[in-house]
Amino acid sequence: MSPKGRTICQEGDSVRILCFAHLGEQIGSPTLELELGPMTVAAFVEEFRSRYPYARLDQVMIAVNEQFVEEDHLIEAKDTVALLPPVSGG
Amino acid sequence: MSQDRYSRQQNFAPIGFSGQQKLKDSHVLIVGAGALGSGTAETLARAGVGTITIIDRDYVEWSNLQRQSLYTEQDAFKQLPKAVAAASRLKQINSEITINAHVMDCNAADLVSLLERHSIDLILDGTDHFAIRYLINDAAYRFQIPWIYGACSGSYGAVCSFIPGQTTCLHCLLKKMPAVSASCDLEGIIAPSVQMVAAMQSAEALKWLSGNRTQMNVNYTVFDLWSNMHQSIGLNRRARQEACPTCGGQPSYPYLNSESAVKAETLCGRASVWLRYPRQEALNLDAVADHAKQLQAVVKSNPYLIQIQEGDFRLVLFQDGRALVHGTSDPLEAKRIYQRYVS
Repeated sequence: MSPKGRTICQEGDSVRILCFAHLGEQIGSPTLELELGPMTVAAFVEEFRSRYPYARLDQVMIAVNEQFVEEDHLIEAKDTVALLPPVSGG
Repeated sequence: MSQDRYSRQQNFAPIGFSGQQKLKDSHVLIVGAGALGSGTAETLARAGVGTITIIDRDYVEWSNLQRQSLYTEQDAFKQLPKAVAAASRLKQINSEITINAHVMDCNAADLVSLLERHSIDLILDGTDHFAIRYLINDAAYRFQIPWIYGACSGSYGAVCSFIPGQTTCLHCLLKKMPAVSASCDLEGIIAPSVQMVAAMQSAEALKWLSGNRTQMNVNYTVFDLWSNMHQSIGLNRRARQEACPTCGGQPSYPYLNSESAVKAETLCGRASVWLRYPRQEALNLDAVADHAKQLQAVVKSNPYLIQIQEGDFRLVLFQDGRALVHGTSDPLEAKRIYQRYVS
């Protein structure tokens, strides 16, 4: 974990976000630590869109703590949220 | 042949002698002989899987050699169909097993006919777009055959096993077919991503076929080799929807039953169009080549296909009447070029 990440983590209320594939490039980093209050997955997507309007989120799959979840699932502090674009190459 | 051939694999306790015998009695269908299909086919051929059937519609190009491990410069130079080149290489690797190779598109009718005629134990995904994966998903659940999704792009890849009667299906994971997805043509690809996905698919295949079915990984496994991230994601299998048209209570298998009316398909990220004009009889490639030469086009051929170069366009015609038109992403223009040479 980066020193910066550690500092934020000490505050204990950030959400760790893993941005896979093109999202990491579009945001400038594959991982983010955001301080967010408890919010549903749907609200999280809206928040993420407003912070990173250039990130392509269409049909991105969302996992919280390595579990696929529904839109009404509540994301809380210290959760890890993975944003996974569908992948088709082979 | 040497009795020693599979000794190291048999010494691996979960496989043993009986597992090896099961592998020998197994039949795997690999759909797509590109990068992933190359990787899984080679591993399973070396492992002694008794029968491997490979379907692929494409031919070997130079841009494939960086990651499609079954092919050589000779194959690209001769523009051999991948299914043919793959079968030839796999027979060199293991002459004791049966390899069936089909140069074809793998539409719903093809797939159903294949699954009706053969007793397939497992389907491995080596395809490169979602439409065909929804078709495989329907076919797998209708015939109660497990299939192993695998895909990669850039340094990113994902694998997931779909097992009828045990797990939910692709439809439940992605209710709507993704209109946009990460693919090799647009985002590029590094070979280690391919090898990682193919390795995970092959391991699942060895487990399933050798009788170690409780060991199957039912998570959605995803990685990024460049940013050093890995996730093994649980699917809420209880969230299986009774209404799912593929794995629900009253399945309709929508992708299997709506025969695609698509006669032209533009390849995402490539200036190329696939054309399909079903034919009753095989296309007489020699006659088409002669006609093209009369029109002053540059013609190259092998026993399976001919290539007609006309300015910036390149028309590749297969015996079954399919054609790949390079140099355009406009289906109408592609059709005009096709019709100039094929009546």
